[in-house]
Amino acid sequence: MWAYTLKRVLQGIITVWFIATATFFGMHSVPGDPLSGERASTEAIRANLEARYGLDRPLGEQYVIFLGNMLRGDFGISYTQQNREVNDIIREHFPVSATLGILAVMIAALGGVLWGALTALYRNRLPDYIIMFLVILGISVPSFVFAALGQLGLVGLNSAAGRTLLPVAGWGTVSHMLLPALVLGLGTMAYMTRLMRSSMLEVMSADYIRTAKAKGLPMSRIFTHHQLRNAVLPVITVLGPAIAAITTGGFVVELVFAIPGLGRYFVQAVQQLDYTVIMGTTVFYGAFLVFMVILVDLVYSWVDPRVRLQ
Amino acid sequence: MSQYNDGVHRTLRDSDFEPLGEQSTTPLLVRPSRSYWQDAWIRLKANRRALVSLYLVIGLLLFTFIGPMIWRVDPALQDVDQISIAPGADRSALVAEAYEPWVNGQVEPDFAGGSGLRLAAEPTTLRVRLLWDPMPGADNYRVYRNNYPIEDPQALGIPLADITRDNVYWYEDRLDLRARDYYYAVVVLDELGQPTDQFETVEVNVGRVITAVEARNRGLVGAGESLAVGDEVMMPWHPLGTDYLGRDMLARLMAGARVSLFIGLLAPLLYVVIGVVYGASAGFLGGKADQVMMRFADFVVALPFLLFMILFQVVFGIGPGESGIVPMLIALVVLLWPATARLVRGQILQIREEAYVSAAKLLGASHHYLILRHMIPNTLGVILVTLTFAVPSAIFTEAFLSFIGMGVAPPTASWGSMCNEGLKNMLTHPHELVFPAAMISITVLAFNLLGDGLRDALDAKMRSAE
Amino acid sequence: MTALLSVENLHVEFATYGGIVKAVRGVSFDVEAGQTLAIVGESGSGKSVTMQAVMGLIPMPPGRITQGSAKLRGQDFLGRLEMDGRTICGDEIGMIFQDPMSSLNPTMRIGDQIAETLKVHRDYSPKEAWKRAIELLELVKIPEAPKRAAQYPFEFSGGMLQRVMIAMAVACKPAVLIADEPTTALDVTIQAQILDLLQDIQKETGMAIILITHDLAVVARMADKVAVMYAGQIVEAATVNELFYESAHPYTLGLKQAMPSAESDENHVLEPIPGSPPDLFSPPQGCAYCARCPWHMQVCQTDDPASFRLSDTHTSRCWLQHPRQPREVEGLHRAESQGVSKPVSDTADQEVSP
Repeated sequence: MWAYTLKRVLQGIITVWFIATATFFGMHSVPGDPLSGERASTEAIRANLEARYGLDRPLGEQYVIFLGNMLRGDFGISYTQQNREVNDIIREHFPVSATLGILAVMIAALGGVLWGALTALYRNRLPDYIIMFLVILGISVPSFVFAALGQLGLVGLNSAAGRTLLPVAGWGTVSHMLLPALVLGLGTMAYMTRLMRSSMLEVMSADYIRTAKAKGLPMSRIFTHHQLRNAVLPVITVLGPAIAAITTGGFVVELVFAIPGLGRYFVQAVQQLDYTVIMGTTVFYGAFLVFMVILVDLVYSWVDPRVRLQ
Repeated sequence: MSQYNDGVHRTLRDSDFEPLGEQSTTPLLVRPSRSYWQDAWIRLKANRRALVSLYLVIGLLLFTFIGPMIWRVDPALQDVDQISIAPGADRSALVAEAYEPWVNGQVEPDFAGGSGLRLAAEPTTLRVRLLWDPMPGADNYRVYRNNYPIEDPQALGIPLADITRDNVYWYEDRLDLRARDYYYAVVVLDELGQPTDQFETVEVNVGRVITAVEARNRGLVGAGESLAVGDEVMMPWHPLGTDYLGRDMLARLMAGARVSLFIGLLAPLLYVVIGVVYGASAGFLGGKADQVMMRFADFVVALPFLLFMILFQVVFGIGPGESGIVPMLIALVVLLWPATARLVRGQILQIREEAYVSAAKLLGASHHYLILRHMIPNTLGVILVTLTFAVPSAIFTEAFLSFIGMGVAPPTASWGSMCNEGLKNMLTHPHELVFPAAMISITVLAFNLLGDGLRDALDAKMRSAE
Repeated sequence: MTALLSVENLHVEFATYGGIVKAVRGVSFDVEAGQTLAIVGESGSGKSVTMQAVMGLIPMPPGRITQGSAKLRGQDFLGRLEMDGRTICGDEIGMIFQDPMSSLNPTMRIGDQIAETLKVHRDYSPKEAWKRAIELLELVKIPEAPKRAAQYPFEFSGGMLQRVMIAMAVACKPAVLIADEPTTALDVTIQAQILDLLQDIQKETGMAIILITHDLAVVARMADKVAVMYAGQIVEAATVNELFYESAHPYTLGLKQAMPSAESDENHVLEPIPGSPPDLFSPPQGCAYCARCPWHMQVCQTDDPASFRLSDTHTSRCWLQHPRQPREVEGLHRAESQGVSKPVSDTADQEVSP
């Protein structure tokens, strides 16, 4: 188990290193250079700026410096907002994205397990048909459409109620978080519902459930102790990819709902070609996702005794 | 009496105990022999949802490739008279005389007057002529136009002009007029040119007009037909309305379908083929080569997908005049092949251990034969299913990237970029968002259901428990 | 005297896409305390379905019990979970299954799975239940029971898991133990150990065992009484000696022919029964075995045979047993005098019919 953990963490570190390297060389091969444009109007200013960003040194040296800075957790200074460090941007905006993401993952996972179990129990009856219809919608409709429709619906709802039931955009209170988190989690929830349903159906027809019935256990106990526990396992395995999907999905939702999260900042930086911010946030997001996936795998191997004890 | 054997009662005779002889008394169970693919096709046909989705996919392909032959409208053509038109909106226009400048500030003959801020002539898309009475203590005025009823004196809309000439109490608006309701306001300015709270408003219902010359130029009437002022002509028809630049939605949806399906079909096809070749080689070679190849694949899988898609797009840098389709295609292929490779390798390794492969080897089958006769047919089903599920995810990715402005560059239409544009006018013109969003949803839905159906039909082991 | 467990005229159907499958068609049997009843038949004969129906384990829908009763000490419990405040399943009747590998919850500790029954049926505290679970593991001769109780099923071998299943099934000291092909998935040496274990426990507790099997060797070793099932019906019911030495049904003869025995030399040819069981979507009008029977007669095609009584403990559902059937079939036991062999159900006989 410890060896496994160590191996995974090591793999993760190598992956993050690769991400950093790919990002660095990728960004440095972008046609044109970051200082072209109005900021470097004279040669002197240009030379100054190049020195400030270390662009006057050879690429190899820049790479070493970049890696060294990264190890110390320093991602440099923004190109477009020259008084801001990338670290400050991450520190300020990531908690917002993380809060939204955690909320969305929770909604998706709990909702998925709940609806999935429900559809399996009501298999081929009305609740199953209704939920599975919604699930198919959830899988087929892109998140930005949900975001837009959700906002549109909320506008209508607020005006119908004659007061602000929930704020349409912005960030701050729990009421700001509800709709964006729901919208963000919806697609993943649909996917998880489907997974949970088929996993639950498989478990329900498993031999050990027959054994449990033959033991005369009450249905409630069979459900909680035998069915749910085993059916949830496959759902845990997809939590890693789900977190990745929700994190990147957050870019769009933050955009639509005007939430000051890191995702929106990242998209902005990409659109404005703010190189240091792109590099910093990419490496940060990359490391975050890689280690979340590892964490989920470790949690899974701890939950499933068959994996834990081997 | 008893219930035994449906209550048949009869007297048994000696003849009943005659031996039957050797002939078989029950017909042999004969089932028609069917190949794997015939069987799969029959199962697919029995699956109503899969069949509907198959028709949907065929419909989409027709829409994409045959559609533009029937609906021959240039998706880039702007119909400036009909901008952000909802489907089914009124498209009639009255023929009007050519525009002549308004110089005297007089009310047109036969046009009802009034007092306060009022119209001097029938308002048309050519011009709106406003007239007002001098207001006490003011000689300068500012004219505003608003798209919504004026409720708040602080929000009067766009300022159109300041009227500073003496004795001029009229204004002609010719700024980008549409056939709709406008709300004009005239505000009194003080000596410093600052607006005061003294103002008058009027609601104007602008009618769409077109000059006879223009109507002929645009081919709205036949060559021989005569046109008189006041005649009604029909503007070009946009069955699904137009977007914020007056481009035909239907034509753009078709053009967008080409881009979205091009990426959605070609990218999966490419990376599945690469994945199959890579995975099959690894599985077949085995040993050290397999390990090294799979380590590399694991590594690419671990990369955060959308993040790297975005990075790719940035690095490629879409230059002016480029559509950004090819970079996206490359990025998708580069990032997504390992999933298929892993799957195929697993399948190959599994099949290699199957008894029937050992049997074939014992019978002296060549490598070539093994691959052709056992490996390929037995992995084809899985590959086909993977391919079907890869299509919606590629379409999703394209839409997502285009939506955040990192995908297909304007003016190239794709469903994602259309959604992005539609989002801006969502509240006033929802059709600009709803149609492309619906296209994405329907396509993704169709391919997902088709994938489910194929999976169920092709492999009983992979059968989803639905 | 009422039997400990008696099943009467049980009918079970399954509604499938292809139509209604009549899986069990009027099965009756009973078993006494301390006795072992073997139900023998090939796959699809309805032997497992019968016992699962009795235990209420048939998924409904698609399954349906259309007729019949199952009585424990004279009281019908079919379709009920409890009787006199005691649960039937797991308490009065225990059951073990064919494949112990998949019959245990893979993510629950062995000890917990045994203790669970005691907690639910006997209100044991978690601590007591765990202690008792270890005792039960010792009872089924699992070494290092305290350590093994804390392990998971994947850490056990198949034979060990079957012992665990037995420990679980007998935890509440049931009156009847149903063993559904308990040794089929195990290798031969383990089979013997499991059967010994079952017999030991039976001796100790006096429980009845209903053993479902397709293995006549297991029947010979374990059973007091045997019921042979074919196409959803019991075609022959007898004591174990009667069945082997006075077989009264062609199907039983066929089964015996297909079984190697200690006396048979190496040149002995095992003869399989030709053909396959009938399609239960539409059971044949006459005898279900008719098409495979070497001695089939006109009547077999048209009429389902009556059940003929050869002795107090021996019945056979075959027209060959009819008193007026003239032929003698080699190896087939018939009642000594024509008069003794008379149908249990009287309707099909000419003397009763108008």
